Amino acid sequence: MPMKQKVALITGVTGQDGAYLAKFLLDKGYQVHGIRRRASMFNTGRIEHLVHDPHEPGPRFELHYADLTDSTSLIRVIEQVQPDELYNLAAQSHVAVSFEEPEYTGNTDALGALRLLEAIRILGLQRKTRYYQASTSELYGLVREIPQRETTPFYPRSPYGVAKLYAHWITVNYREAYDLYACNGILFNHESPLRGETFVTRKITRALARIRLGMQQCLHLGNLEARRDWGHARDYVEAQWLMLQQERPDDYVIATGQSRSVREFVDVATARLGIRLAWEGQGAEQVGRVESCTLDAAPPLERGKVIVRVDPRYLRPSEVDALVGDASKARSKLGWSPRIGFEQLVQEMIDADFEAAQRDSLIRAHGYSAPDQRE
Amino acid sequence: MKTALITGVTGQDGALLAKRLLARGDRVVGTVRRSASANLWRLEELGIAQHERLSLKSFDLLDAERARTLLADVHPDEVYNLAAQSSVGASFEEPMLTLQAVGAAPLQLLEAIRQFDPKIRFFQASSAEMFGMPRSAPQDEDTPLCPRTPYGAAKVYAHWMTVSYRDTYGLFGCSGILYNHESALRSREFVTRKISDSVAKIRLGKLECLRLGRLDSRRDWGYAPDYVEAMVRMMQSESPGTYVLATGRTASIRDFAAIAFRVAGIEIEFRGTGPDETAVDRNDGRTVIRVDPALYRPVESEQLVGNPARARAALGWEPAMPLDRICAEMVEADLRRNAAGVSL
Repeated sequence: MPMKQKVALITGVTGQDGAYLAKFLLDKGYQVHGIRRRASMFNTGRIEHLVHDPHEPGPRFELHYADLTDSTSLIRVIEQVQPDELYNLAAQSHVAVSFEEPEYTGNTDALGALRLLEAIRILGLQRKTRYYQASTSELYGLVREIPQRETTPFYPRSPYGVAKLYAHWITVNYREAYDLYACNGILFNHESPLRGETFVTRKITRALARIRLGMQQCLHLGNLEARRDWGHARDYVEAQWLMLQQERPDDYVIATGQSRSVREFVDVATARLGIRLAWEGQGAEQVGRVESCTLDAAPPLERGKVIVRVDPRYLRPSEVDALVGDASKARSKLGWSPRIGFEQLVQEMIDADFEAAQRDSLIRAHGYSAPDQRE
Repeated sequence: MKTALITGVTGQDGALLAKRLLARGDRVVGTVRRSASANLWRLEELGIAQHERLSLKSFDLLDAERARTLLADVHPDEVYNLAAQSSVGASFEEPMLTLQAVGAAPLQLLEAIRQFDPKIRFFQASSAEMFGMPRSAPQDEDTPLCPRTPYGAAKVYAHWMTVSYRDTYGLFGCSGILYNHESALRSREFVTRKISDSVAKIRLGKLECLRLGRLDSRRDWGYAPDYVEAMVRMMQSESPGTYVLATGRTASIRDFAAIAFRVAGIEIEFRGTGPDETAVDRNDGRTVIRVDPALYRPVESEQLVGNPARARAALGWEPAMPLDRICAEMVEADLRRNAAGVSL
C-alpha cells in the first residue's frame, strides 16, 4: 500500500531556504503549502518555477496569505492545512536591520515562533504536527568556545540574535512541557544564488559580476576580517528535513566546520571572474586593487583599479566573533554532512550573478533600462 | 534631587524600592496599569501612598509607544524596570502576554532611553528562572542561561537586550539576576505568601487545610528589602553590570511550611510520601497540608541556588536576613491582616 502523502507547511517559503526546502519536499512527494505575506510587489520570484497551474495534475504546491505577526491568520492556515511537518523559516533575518527595527524583529522572530507553537497547541495538533525552528549561529555571538556545538553557551549580540534566542528556548520549552516533536536547527551561514541581495555574500557576487562587466565601479564592504562558516543552502535544507524524521526531537548544529573571512570570499569570487586582486592598507583603509585580469568574456579591467573598499557604515554596532560550527552530532545522529564546498559555493553564486549581469548588460545595450537595485 | 522611575511600583519590589528611594530623598515616579480598582495596598501598608515626592503615572507595558513619551514627561535619572507578568505558572497559560510584558516592554524602554537620553540609567529585574535546570550549583554570572518556562525565556530576552544595549550603545544597563525574595508584601500567588496567609487563616479557624504542589521543591529564598538595596547599589556603581542576587542557601517548601506553622503556634508532623504526603496538627490530629498534583508545575526547576560573590565583592552587599525571620515576619503580618478581617 502506498504511504499516505505527507503534508508540509513552510513559513518564509518565499526566502532562500523556503525555496530550496519546498523543492526538496516536492521531490520527496510531499504536498507542500507555503505562507507568504501580502506585498504590493511580487515576492515569489524564488518559487515561481514550483507554482503549478492548478488545472493540471501534478506537484502539489500551494501558497496561503498569512503573517507571523497575525495569530489568527496562522491558526486559520494551520487548521486548514493540517500539516505533518511545520517549518518556521520566516523571520526578519537581517542582523544590521534588527538594530534599526528591534521591536519588529522581536515581534516576528520571537513572538512569531511562539504564535506558531501556540497554534499547534490550540488546534490540538501536538501529536500530529512536527515543528522545525530555524535557529541560528548568531545565538553564539560573543563566542564562548571554538568551534561552537549544541552545548556551547549562547551570548547573542544583536536584537536579531536575542529574538532568535527566545524562539530557540520557547521551542525547547514546548518540547519539554507539552511533549511536542519540536527541533531547533542551529544553522550557520548558508548561501546560494538565491540568497537575499542585502546579505554580504550575495552583495559581493552581484557587485563583482557587475564590476567585471563595467556596470559598477567599486564594491564597498564592512569588516573584511569577519569570519563566518559558510555552507550551501541546498545542503542545509536536507538537514532541516532529517531533523523531523527521527525517533526523538532534538537540537542540532548544522555547519561546515570551516571558517573563512569576507576577504577570502572576495578572493575566490574574483578568481572565478579571472581577476587577481592585491590587498593594500589596513583596517578601514584597506583596498582591493586589480593586479591582473585574464578572462576574456568581457574587456579586461584596468590594472591597478581599486574595486573593493571598506566603508565604516557597514560595520556592525557590535560584531560577532569567529563563528565556526561543529556538526558532529548531526553527522552521527542524522547521517548528515555538507556536500558542497566553499569554492564550489562561491563559484555557483558568481556564475549565476555573472549571467544575470550579462543579461542586464544586454538589455541596456539595446536601449532598455535595467535598474541597479542598490541597497 | 534625583528622579527615579519605577515600573511595577505597586508590586512587592516596587513598593519597597519606592520607600528606599524616598528615604534617600529622591523624587519617585511609579507606573501603574490603569484599572477601575487601582490596588495600592502595598504602598499604603508602607505608609508612602500619600508621600509628597511619590507620584503615580498610568503606563501599560503593552502600550509600547508610551515608553518614549513617559521618559520625556518624567525625565528620570534612573529607570527601574520591575513590572512584569511575574507568575511562572501563568506564563504557561499566557505565554504571549508574558513575552510582551516581560520581554518586549524592556526593549521598548531601552530603545526609548537610547533615543531620548542615553545617560538615563536602567535596571532590569532579571530572574533565576533564566537558569532553568542548571547542571551545576550554585549558579553565578557566568552560568549558561537555559530557561525552561515561557516566563524564563521572556526574562532571558530582556536580559540579553539589556546586555546588548550596554555593549552596543554604552547604555548604563544593569541586570540583577534575582533569586526568590520574599516579604510580607509578596503576592499570594507565590508559594511562600500562600503558605503564610493560609497558615494564618488555619490558625484563626478560617481555613481547614493548605494545598501545595511538590513539597520537595527547594528554593533559594532571600529577603526582598535586601534585594532592593542591591538594586540601588548597582545603579550607583561606576559601571553597569550583571549581578546574581541570592543567599546561597536553599530550603524546601516543606521546611518553609513547617516554620510557618511553628510561628503560628501549630506543631505539625509530615506523613506519607509523594502525592500522598500530608501534614497533621500534632495537637488534634487534623490534616493541615495536602499535596495536590494539579499544582505541580509542568516543568520544575531544580538545584536553583545562587552565588552572590560578585555582588558581595563589588557592591558590599550581604543578604543578612535568615529564613525563619523572613517567614515569621510574613506569618505575623498575615495573622494581623486576617484577624482584622482583611485579606490582601
